[in-house]
Amino acid sequence: MRVEYINPFVEAAFSILKEVLGDDLSRGELYLKATSQPILGVTAIVGLAGDVEGRVLIDLTEKTAMKIASAMNGEEMTTLNELAKATITELANMITAQAVTKLSELGFTFDLTPPTIITGEKMEITNYEVEALIVPIETSHGKLEINVALRERN
Amino acid sequence: MKTKADFPNINDRQPEGLKDDGNPFRVLIIDDSMFVTKQINQILTSEGFEIVGSANNGESGVEKYKELYPNIDLVTMDITMPKMDGVECLEKIIEFDKDAKVIMISALGKQDLVKKSLLIGAKNYIVKPLDRNKVLERVVTTLKKQ
Repeated sequence: MRVEYINPFVEAAFSILKEVLGDDLSRGELYLKATSQPILGVTAIVGLAGDVEGRVLIDLTEKTAMKIASAMNGEEMTTLNELAKATITELANMITAQAVTKLSELGFTFDLTPPTIITGEKMEITNYEVEALIVPIETSHGKLEINVALRERN
Repeated sequence: MKTKADFPNINDRQPEGLKDDGNPFRVLIIDDSMFVTKQINQILTSEGFEIVGSANNGESGVEKYKELYPNIDLVTMDITMPKMDGVECLEKIIEFDKDAKVIMISALGKQDLVKKSLLIGAKNYIVKPLDRNKVLERVVTTLKKQ
């Protein structure tokens, strides 16, 4: 997978998180996973189909998800209720929409699926035909991972 | 020495959500995200606007508009929604009331749909993430446009 695919998502995540959380962020080391990998507990998944195809995950722990949802709603959330899930969905929506603009500028066209939220413990995600690139982002509310597995359609 | 006049009372300001006659502007929110609906609701009600209804898809958005008409001043409209999207919903509302004041709410990356909406008759648009100043500024500008 080419690194240029993940950069728009990382840049978009930085700019959106900064805007909605008013936060200092730092970027961790990019790493690559070829097969199965654990996911953190609350995962927004967005599918892409077109000149590039695959999926993007925005992955965080339940605790971080609740803290981010609390900050975005200006109220304390202690359970991952419907509003908290809708908040994380909207976060994923904004990040992917902004990233797509950047990818379109690189000349790629494709469609996106609406974000789906998956929650649960001890889950893994497996990609057989394309490796995933992962960039951790540290916020004051905890870590969030941008996990991108995309390939060009031949 | 400073006098009282140097410290104007900030509470003298008329909330943006009130008309000259003191009645609130009435707003319909059409959006499938519970989070965005709540956000717009909070921002607008804190300035005195009245949220007269909300709908989570385009189809019920059109129905709600017709039901509320003519007691409605403004619509905020999401673009991507199930059943009927925001552009089609806008089209149907403008067909019914050519003077409808509709503001499109869009994530970045939907510029083509925003342009299309403005051509159809949307009066303004706001790009997410939403914040209080951005929303109020666009809403107030739109309500002033004739």
